[in-house]
Amino acid sequence: MGANAQTSVPTFTAGEILTAANMNISARTGIPVFATTVTRDAAFGSTGQKTLAEGQFAYLEDSNTTQYYDGAAWQPVGATPGFVCVKAETSFSGVSSINVDNVFSATYTNYLLNVIYDGSGTADLTMRMRVGGVDTSTSTYNRQGIDANGATLTSFRTTSSSFTIGAGSTNGPSTSQVNFFMPFVVDQTTIQVYNFRSVSNGYIFFEAAQQTGATSFDGFSLIPASGTITGTYSVYGYSKTV
Amino acid sequence: MALKVNDNGIDRNMTKAEEAAHLASLEQIQNEATAQAEAQAAKIAARQAVLDKLGLTADEATALFG
Repeated sequence: MGANAQTSVPTFTAGEILTAANMNISARTGIPVFATTVTRDAAFGSTGQKTLAEGQFAYLEDSNTTQYYDGAAWQPVGATPGFVCVKAETSFSGVSSINVDNVFSATYTNYLLNVIYDGSGTADLTMRMRVGGVDTSTSTYNRQGIDANGATLTSFRTTSSSFTIGAGSTNGPSTSQVNFFMPFVVDQTTIQVYNFRSVSNGYIFFEAAQQTGATSFDGFSLIPASGTITGTYSVYGYSKTV
Repeated sequence: MALKVNDNGIDRNMTKAEEAAHLASLEQIQNEATAQAEAQAAKIAARQAVLDKLGLTADEATALFG
């Protein structure tokens, strides 16, 4: 049995004389609140302080997190989510371009973008990597893609000044999912695109591509090749830990 | 009417400088798309020319070669 294990949950009666042991039971229950991990660590183990042992909880104000001590280290309470939303669902209406800044950081290596949109036409939706609020518009996007339209399958390989992540639909929203690999790392950024558009009841577009500059990007822009788009997007980081 | 941009969640009109840069980008993107479409069309035409010499339809060629 560990030092934090209880054998009873006592109730005291009116007029009862409380011993130090009684008071310790009360003082040691509940989750203590600390400003930081430094003040947390300083609160246990010294003379007059509780011995840190398995089962101890703590709440940290600086990170707004609850932790427990497993006997060797402090651990977060609850499972680490696999996806963390870094850009909440954002609406746009009748726009010719979309700027998304400060979504990539060292916190995550890989990211997912979901876009749902209606175009004013069926023009391609292109995407450029971006840093410091400026698009990279040089011809540095190497792209390999596949179109599946009915029974017709075509492929292409090209280098251009942007990625293509889909196109407008004629019969309902177009949906694009883009995986970014290492956008914030000073290395080539790779993307993988899956797009469905409702043209003649179904049209699928895949693109795997790289931006060849060794650049750390913090965002991207979306640009329909003509006309405007209306819809929503959201961005998620892939957790790097279990 | 000014073109609109969604700038980090806010829909707003582009400035004149942004609009000029955007139109230049569109021209670049559209020229690339046209070149890609022409290359694709040439590839399809070349394939069809071979099929015509062989006297095969596209479906027959797919059945034979996948």
